[in-house]
Amino acid sequence: MNNLLTNQLPVADWVETITEWVTNNFAGLFSFIQNTGQAVMDSITHGLVQIPPFIFIILLTIAAFFVSQKRFGLTLFTFIGLLFIYNQGLWTDLMSTVTLVLISSVVSIIIGIPLGILMAKSSKAQSIITPILDFMQTMPGFVYLIPAVAFFGIGMVPGVFASVIFALPPTVRFTNLGIRQVPKELVEASDSFGGTAWQKLFKLELPLAKNTILAGINQTTMLSLSMVVIASMIGAPGLGRGVLSALQRAQVGNGFVNGVALVILAIIIDRFTQHLNKPKTVTSKSMSKKKKWGVTASVVVVILAAVGISSFTANSTTDKEINLAYVEWDTEIASTNVVAEVLRQMGYKVNVTPLDNAIMWESVAKGEMDGMVAAWLPNTHGSQYAQYKDQVEDLGANLTGAKVGLVVPSYMDVDSIEELKAQAGKTITGIEPGAGVVNAAENTLKTYSNLSDWKVATSSSGAMTVALGQAIKNKEEIVITGWSPHWMFAKYDLKYLEDPKGGMGDEEAIHTIVRDGLKENQPEAYQLLDNFKWTKEDMEKVMLEIKNKKDPQKAAQDWIKNNQELVDSWKK
Amino acid sequence: MIKVQVNNLTKVFGKKAQTALAMMKEHRPKTEILAKTGATVGVYDVNFEVNEGEIFVIMGLSGSGKSTLIRLLNRLIEPTSGDIYIDGQDIAKLSKEGLREVRRHKMSMVFQNFGLFPHRTILENTEYGLEVRGIPKEERQQKAEQALKNSGLISFKDQLPNQLSGGMQQRVGLARALANDPEILLMDEAFSALDPLIRREMQDELIDLQANVQKTIIFITHDLNEALRIGDRIALMKDGEIMQIGTGEEILTNPANDYVREFVEDVDRSKVLTAQNIMVPALTTNIDIDGPNVALNRMRKEEVSMLMVVNKKRELKGYITAESALEARKTHRPLSEFVDATIRTVDKEMLVNDIFTIIFDSPTPLAVVENGRLQGVIIRGSVLEALAETSEVNEDE
Repeated sequence: MNNLLTNQLPVADWVETITEWVTNNFAGLFSFIQNTGQAVMDSITHGLVQIPPFIFIILLTIAAFFVSQKRFGLTLFTFIGLLFIYNQGLWTDLMSTVTLVLISSVVSIIIGIPLGILMAKSSKAQSIITPILDFMQTMPGFVYLIPAVAFFGIGMVPGVFASVIFALPPTVRFTNLGIRQVPKELVEASDSFGGTAWQKLFKLELPLAKNTILAGINQTTMLSLSMVVIASMIGAPGLGRGVLSALQRAQVGNGFVNGVALVILAIIIDRFTQHLNKPKTVTSKSMSKKKKWGVTASVVVVILAAVGISSFTANSTTDKEINLAYVEWDTEIASTNVVAEVLRQMGYKVNVTPLDNAIMWESVAKGEMDGMVAAWLPNTHGSQYAQYKDQVEDLGANLTGAKVGLVVPSYMDVDSIEELKAQAGKTITGIEPGAGVVNAAENTLKTYSNLSDWKVATSSSGAMTVALGQAIKNKEEIVITGWSPHWMFAKYDLKYLEDPKGGMGDEEAIHTIVRDGLKENQPEAYQLLDNFKWTKEDMEKVMLEIKNKKDPQKAAQDWIKNNQELVDSWKK
Repeated sequence: MIKVQVNNLTKVFGKKAQTALAMMKEHRPKTEILAKTGATVGVYDVNFEVNEGEIFVIMGLSGSGKSTLIRLLNRLIEPTSGDIYIDGQDIAKLSKEGLREVRRHKMSMVFQNFGLFPHRTILENTEYGLEVRGIPKEERQQKAEQALKNSGLISFKDQLPNQLSGGMQQRVGLARALANDPEILLMDEAFSALDPLIRREMQDELIDLQANVQKTIIFITHDLNEALRIGDRIALMKDGEIMQIGTGEEILTNPANDYVREFVEDVDRSKVLTAQNIMVPALTTNIDIDGPNVALNRMRKEEVSMLMVVNKKRELKGYITAESALEARKTHRPLSEFVDATIRTVDKEMLVNDIFTIIFDSPTPLAVVENGRLQGVIIRGSVLEALAETSEVNEDE
């Protein structure tokens, strides 16, 4: 007993081992799913984007009109809501989100309905599956992202994987419930006439359970929509990405706009699926059958056409395509946008994907991403570098003189980490939990005895700057995990705390890291990334522009215009 | 020609079936068995046979196991032990496929709450049995329409069940069963959910149908009157066991045990009805006030030839006929001299059964009195009517 209490069970290690084993043994299957899934979803998104937005909006409005039985509320809402999304420039994101929701819902239905039928038919299956469903529904959605990345890397496929796990239970439960609720006498009637199990299922149980099942499907689509936001942390494109980056950069307005767009989409999907669920009157029965066929046929035609167009155009895409990963820190937003812009001017198609820090490293190591210009070495990302250094190529520093440390407002009378006692509620306000500077701060707490009862409160880089602004406004004490270059040094009067034991690291450099083999595949891009170098001042210019509400891409373009000479020197 | 034969059929629900069976052998009550073993005995050691073309009624109160029994016959419920022979073939030993064939061709079932599929039209419901057999659409619709024509519902064929009344729905249920042209019809309390008038109508229809198509019908009911009306033979069940099998006559005349006797008595109204249930208001003349003219006037108006005679306090004095009233008028003598006091009286609590013997000897109606005061009269017609409403029971007095 004592042993049990004192020795921690290595559950985490077991799970790691199992995941690793699965990843290694099914690597072929996973990469096949990843590639086909990615291709399918890209072509769907591509096809949806190909349809001119106005035509799309009008088509959906007409659909809403008929679906809602000619009531104007939903029709008007659909029209105005979609126009609003288009007006805010979120159309492409919307289409990515629609694809993600569509695929996760379809996969959930394909898996969920048979599972629900199995549960309804076998009480043993029900008693096994029910606790698993409870587990799936109560486990925080974030947890599913971790194995999703391990199995499928980053992008839409792991997003779908996580969404399916999270959104599957309602469909299963409702299918089971609907079939079990079919009156016993009717089941007996079907049996007494010698109907087989399949005949009973298709002629009696599914038609009667249809409305319950549709209610479950409606729940599933809603849940998968909510997962879209979370899945954007692992590179799933769409509206979620906007919400997440707004959170990380504490931009209330952007967050609101993206959130509202999601709400509009959610309401439209919800109303559409609910109206499909309306009980039909008898008189409309024969009509609605014809109508249903018509609608189904037209939808199929549209999808086929879209896929056809997209596959046609997909073949004509340039092979000069490059994927850059970055973390949503203000430094990285600036540098990545500048590099991406230069590459675009060189004729590349550049996809930039915001990711969580650890996932960014992993994606480059796995070769899913071509590179990044956001590696803080030797300290901040020391642990990631140690983990992946054999799988990536370090092209050296693109910016030197970067610094990481604990930062306080100048009016606080501490100058060194050793002088911290009970200031700021013994709390260091940090950024994202996976960030290198946070790890460094946690190590620092261990190395300094006076910080033994301090803690690091993690949030996001955006939230941290907001907290800093608030504290300075109220002349309160605050200790943050800071780094430069950063616009906050330009905006506020701040100072780094001295770090005699060097726990937070000395001067650092930001490195450019690319995947192995980029040199052979994309020599030009490799050349540019290798040559890319600029100064703290350059970067802070771009950062301030962005901070002052300029679109990052626009800010990068302006900076390139003003520094054409330097940019040209990179291309050689 | 025996069509269905059932030997030692038993069904126990739940685990510990063997313990429960052992307790059944000791004739322990169901509640005790349930408490001890958690198992419910649905049907215990049932034996009977049904002849071809016979309406065999299984009767019992709710919980007697009759619905379980009928479901054992087509194995909607799997028997725990025992044999069911249909045309000499043991149903209990059949494979799934064999059983399906039997269900498709030999037996069809009609349910208490009709068992119609709410999402299918009347025609689609009627053809269901043919549909699962894989009969081509043209042919099965033709057969289904014929079955609906026979029950006069063809004009409703494109309606949904919930648009029809209960009686119509049950006709559809019956048509659906008959469209299959089965040899055996199983009817599980088929008319219990209908109101009494429709119920009677359906019973008549079933009797007519039986005269035309000669099916073997196994009919379940908890209503003795229904059983007596349509059953060729009746089996009475209690707690999963059959108490007695026989014709209605046999069960009424020679109940096998007290339970059957009580069950039958409950329903035999001649042993329940009392004088006050069947009496009619008396036509009276008040001897203290009325004279012969008034009495004759009343007789003329009511088209009768005699009146009951009472005094002011409505105490019965006797009766007076039209002849004696005329005599009184002619001779100018008071009515009281012509009253015939030899009237038979009965107490209002007296049973119809006992009134029977009195009324057939009595030339006059019987007066129902309470403490000497007249409550009403009983005439022969009302007694017969009261008995006709029950079964045609020949009293064994």
